[in-house]
Amino acid sequence: MAEPDLRTPSAPPTAPGVHPKPFWSFRPRSDRESGDAVVSNFMLHWFPAKVSKASLDWSYSFWLGTASAALLLLLVLSGMPLLFLYVPSVERAYASVKDIEYVVTFGSWIRAVHRLSAHLMVVAVVLHLVRVFLTGAYKNGVGRGQRRPVNWVLGVAMLLLTLFLSFTGYLLPWDQLAYWAVTVGTNIASSIPWVGNTIRELLLGGREIDQPTLIRFYVLHVIALPGLLGILFVYHMWRVRKDGGLARADREGVLEQKAEAPPGPTKTYTLLGVARGQAPAIRASSLEARDTTVNAVPDLVRRAAIVVLGTIAVVGILSVFFRAPLEEPANALVTPNPAKAPWYFLWLQEIVTDTTVHIGSFTINGAFLGGVLLPGLLLTVLTLWPWWDKSPAAAAGVWLGQSRRRQNLVFLAVCVVILVFTFIGTFLRGPYWHFYWPWEAWPEIPGRI
Amino acid sequence: MKALSSRRELLLRLGTGAGVAALTGQAVASLRSLVPNVSYDAPTTVKLGPTAEFPDGLKFLPEQRLFVFREGKTFHAISAVCTHLGCTVRAEALARPEEKAVEGGTLRLTHRFLCPCHGSEYSGDGGNVAGPAPRPLTWYRLSVSPDDEQLVVDLADPVEPADPEGRLNLA
Repeated sequence: MAEPDLRTPSAPPTAPGVHPKPFWSFRPRSDRESGDAVVSNFMLHWFPAKVSKASLDWSYSFWLGTASAALLLLLVLSGMPLLFLYVPSVERAYASVKDIEYVVTFGSWIRAVHRLSAHLMVVAVVLHLVRVFLTGAYKNGVGRGQRRPVNWVLGVAMLLLTLFLSFTGYLLPWDQLAYWAVTVGTNIASSIPWVGNTIRELLLGGREIDQPTLIRFYVLHVIALPGLLGILFVYHMWRVRKDGGLARADREGVLEQKAEAPPGPTKTYTLLGVARGQAPAIRASSLEARDTTVNAVPDLVRRAAIVVLGTIAVVGILSVFFRAPLEEPANALVTPNPAKAPWYFLWLQEIVTDTTVHIGSFTINGAFLGGVLLPGLLLTVLTLWPWWDKSPAAAAGVWLGQSRRRQNLVFLAVCVVILVFTFIGTFLRGPYWHFYWPWEAWPEIPGRI
Repeated sequence: MKALSSRRELLLRLGTGAGVAALTGQAVASLRSLVPNVSYDAPTTVKLGPTAEFPDGLKFLPEQRLFVFREGKTFHAISAVCTHLGCTVRAEALARPEEKAVEGGTLRLTHRFLCPCHGSEYSGDGGNVAGPAPRPLTWYRLSVSPDDEQLVVDLADPVEPADPEGRLNLA
């Protein structure tokens, strides 16, 4: 008996669950083929077959989450060669980074890609958080069983992980920036009453900054933190899907429902109506509607590809022009003057400077107040915000919604304060962290002592 | 406590409990291994050199992050570690040295100390005068080693600022 040719359209369908082609199609010719692409591709599986058109809008989400993910991908990819070239030893770390920068072919470009992606990822993740807040996208809409606040908490955790990854990352070259950042960072930890010193010793692997410190931060940077971030990322994406897509999408469901079938007050909200899942749930019909939805393949995939490839292109090209800096080798004997953290931590550096409080003979160290309490409080408020937000469900997925006006203003005010502190730390602080206007020249300070 | 409804439930709970206990034990063991049992840090009692090598005034010892002051036959040592967040402060000579009366004599203040990280300022005796520093710079006890007459500091033995005990008199 001759074997049936699986490729000709006239051939009988293959066994259930068997995909006859070696790949899937990004250019489906029918809805069925489009859905098939999602089902048969492991990576595309996290997409629904159909997505709401409005949630794909460039100007709704600005695709910042996708951009963050693309930057994470770039960081993992550019981190791979660096893993082979970097030596996590206090004697050789600096020299190995110097080799990457000046000796290894394309080394400086790879390192620049890694550093630039890291900086841009901090930017993208923060902007993503701002976007989600200002659109009220952490709110549950009308879909039953939605848990958007959970995804918000995951997002906040991922922002923290991004910052910790940046911190552990800039320690690895073991240059002056690294050494003094560890000094200050671990001393902030040690300012916590009672347990502070234990935490510091656990972070340092001893009482002083030495080899055990470097290896700890190295393992955190290349294994622990990225692993955790990867797990949270996957969970974050899964939750987006399980919450019915972006908040914008189920807002559409509401409107659709209102327009099509205005509910009779006596009928729709009966117990039976609720039990059948008609009243508060999103109607399947509105998501299937041709004028509001498109196939995930190719519409969603095409846009995601544009964002990912665009991000890669921008970082790849910029990295040719902006090389990653390397300071002098770590020197425990001399603190640079001024010793500045990277820009995204300068608001914190400014805050720990300003928050030491003397009340009579009682003193609270700014390290604790500004370095632990205040950021901790900020983080707690940020995490719990979705449970305090009592605006109506219809405010989910709307930019600067009227019912959320006041909370948006509070949020923006905090953002502005952080930006102002960052600006002061970056441009207005000179030697000995003294205040200088940008047009004032810094005084000459002898290099040593 | 609710009574167990069946033997099956009891076994299920026992099994789950054993699993959780085993995993917890192994996790604790793994984490405990990261707490060092032996410290390879530098010793805290350090010989700083023959007393004759210390000039009148101030000498900065970067390795120990320590300022050693000498006034004739009197020595005292102040830490260069900022009490705010641990950066090394820098000494700046005063244009006009000051005298400060302390218990058992006067202290000649020739410098002030400035921190490059967050702008803390200390007076010549280590007192925190401006910026975020919560405490004065630490004073350490000095002694002379009996075998070779070197100045010795004990970095694990802080003394109160300007405490007569913190000042070593060779007279």
